[in-house]
Amino acid sequence: MRRVRNAWKQWVVAAMALGLAMPASAIPAFARKYGTSCLTCHTVYPKLTPFGEAFRRNGYRFPGVDSDFVKQETVPLGQEANKKTFPRSVWPATIPSSLPVAIGFNGQANLYPDKSASVPRTNHAAGGAATVFSFDDLVAETHLWLGAALSDTLTTWGELTLANDGSVSVEHFQLLFDDLVGPKHLVNVVVGKGFPTISPFGPHSSFAADLQIPNLPVTGLYGINSDPFVLVDDYTGVEVNGVARGRVQYAAGLSNGKNTFTASFNSENVYAGAAYKLGGMRLDGEGDTGPRNPMQPWAEESLTFHAFVYRSAEHFQTPGNTAASSGDTSVTVGGGLRAMHGSAEVDLGYYTQSHDHGTDALGKVRGDALYGELSYVVYPWLVPALRVERVSLHPSGGGAVSDLHLMPALALLVRPNIKFVVAGNMEFANGFPSPGGAPTAWDGGSGDSGALVIAPTGSDPGQKRSEFESLTFFLAFAL
Amino acid sequence: MHRKLLATWMAAASLLVSGTASAAGGIISGKVDATPPKYLPDTVVYLKSVPGTYPPRTVNMDQKGLKFIPAMIAITQGDTVKFLNHDTVAHNVYSPDGEAYNLGTFKPEQEASYTFKKTGPYSQLCSIHPEMLGYVWVGQNPYSAVVDSKGEYVIKDVPPGTYQLAVWNADKLKAPEKSVTVTAGKTEQENISIKR
Repeated sequence: MRRVRNAWKQWVVAAMALGLAMPASAIPAFARKYGTSCLTCHTVYPKLTPFGEAFRRNGYRFPGVDSDFVKQETVPLGQEANKKTFPRSVWPATIPSSLPVAIGFNGQANLYPDKSASVPRTNHAAGGAATVFSFDDLVAETHLWLGAALSDTLTTWGELTLANDGSVSVEHFQLLFDDLVGPKHLVNVVVGKGFPTISPFGPHSSFAADLQIPNLPVTGLYGINSDPFVLVDDYTGVEVNGVARGRVQYAAGLSNGKNTFTASFNSENVYAGAAYKLGGMRLDGEGDTGPRNPMQPWAEESLTFHAFVYRSAEHFQTPGNTAASSGDTSVTVGGGLRAMHGSAEVDLGYYTQSHDHGTDALGKVRGDALYGELSYVVYPWLVPALRVERVSLHPSGGGAVSDLHLMPALALLVRPNIKFVVAGNMEFANGFPSPGGAPTAWDGGSGDSGALVIAPTGSDPGQKRSEFESLTFFLAFAL
Repeated sequence: MHRKLLATWMAAASLLVSGTASAAGGIISGKVDATPPKYLPDTVVYLKSVPGTYPPRTVNMDQKGLKFIPAMIAITQGDTVKFLNHDTVAHNVYSPDGEAYNLGTFKPEQEASYTFKKTGPYSQLCSIHPEMLGYVWVGQNPYSAVVDSKGEYVIKDVPPGTYQLAVWNADKLKAPEKSVTVTAGKTEQENISIKR
């Protein structure tokens, strides 16, 4: 998935980039490894079933003994008996006989029914036509995914993304050391680059949007950091997580953002989260709590709560002074709940984020994000959903501004590995962020099809505006 | 006439030895099915305790193509295994199991022997090629059999009596022991399911 970048002076570019955001958890490499269908873990991918979520939480391992389920041939790099001869021998491992790689493509076409909406309007102002439709990005990204087990307690996960603008990035690469001490699933350590565990569900656990928890790039919206800290991003670090007694999940981690400065990393992050699940399949998938109806493996009766806290020390160039650096410390507190009643699901969440130097004047600012998604799996290949995201900024001494994003969507599986989503994007802005008094576009959220892109038409940061931004046709397939 | 009669008797005796139980002992045979099936190899079916003394034997285990051949053998306590090397590269054989041993490095066409003093499974490893794995399963008595690729096994010449039939699997699949009564000249059919 493409990282959310925010450069307020280039908001259209950023909006386009956001438009390419890719839900990335579909790993046909796992299908090959276990000789099983994508539908064992997914409905309309990357949305995971309760079993798929347990598989992900377990460090991409089946409940029970993972290797019992592996169908792919493996090459031993040592033998189990070598554990008895350690440290005179290297601790054993295995690798798959064939490279555990999968490939996927994704992109989208946009229809802009309203030529005065932000994207076609800005395109027109830049010398182009007031676009009505765009197929340019229908195949916008190529992903190479890696998923393999080196043993029953050591797994790997990676993602390399090639975008059609020529950029190549290692978005994820993690080594997952599982079951280190105590009961199974209690203590795992994840090292590498990836998303933080601030929710018990996968980061792309949404039918309508790219991210379950929307991002709010505060320092980006105020124009002081072109690569702002956001909650859900592929940072590099170490995380300890686990599941206790099948119902309680915890995670805590340290990470760094990208090194955009020569002097320091652009963010130093510390986070922790916890979750509790009532009913349904256990969080670790162990035991005999299979689906109530075998024809509907995605369905269950459950209620899952979660909460998290996240502290980030962000570093950036001092506004107006290229020689000096400044810093902003933010503290985020949030939580949510997911209720499942058969095939119906409601996902709700909220977080508040306080910055001590978040504005262009290095002033205090609070950001709030609220999200909700209602979905119903009509058939395993047909899921209507309605998603709402609302983000707001409350600068100290300034007026509050907010943006509401409404996304009705229909997610379809043409085949188990071919996905098609139609989503509408409606935005309602009540004012705009205004660094230096000049209003800028919103750029945040987690929409597949443009996120929050609404832009002001005048010089009044307090103006209200609403737009039907686009109708997006999202296509993805994986092999 | 006497020669013809002798030949007929010999043929009949040969059939008995190869196809059915000998007059002195009985046969236990059957099929093992494993869940998951991929763990079926490296499984031995054996009688837990059969009183008697058994003359020591020598059995070969070769190394060829960076593999132990056969990958598993079942022997009796006090038996000797001669480890051969028909590869064009040097090998080593060692085991961390039982009393643990290391036979050192032996070059192509060289061999090394080891007499097994304890009962139980011994992993056979090569320190030069860590991917290599074989098993020597050592029983109290010679009444054991390694299952074949179809899961079938045959234990021959078992003295008449009642015994505990057990199974050992390298991947830790298990099955409860069975009591089996062997009658001279007869075959007992015992199928076994092994799982976690």
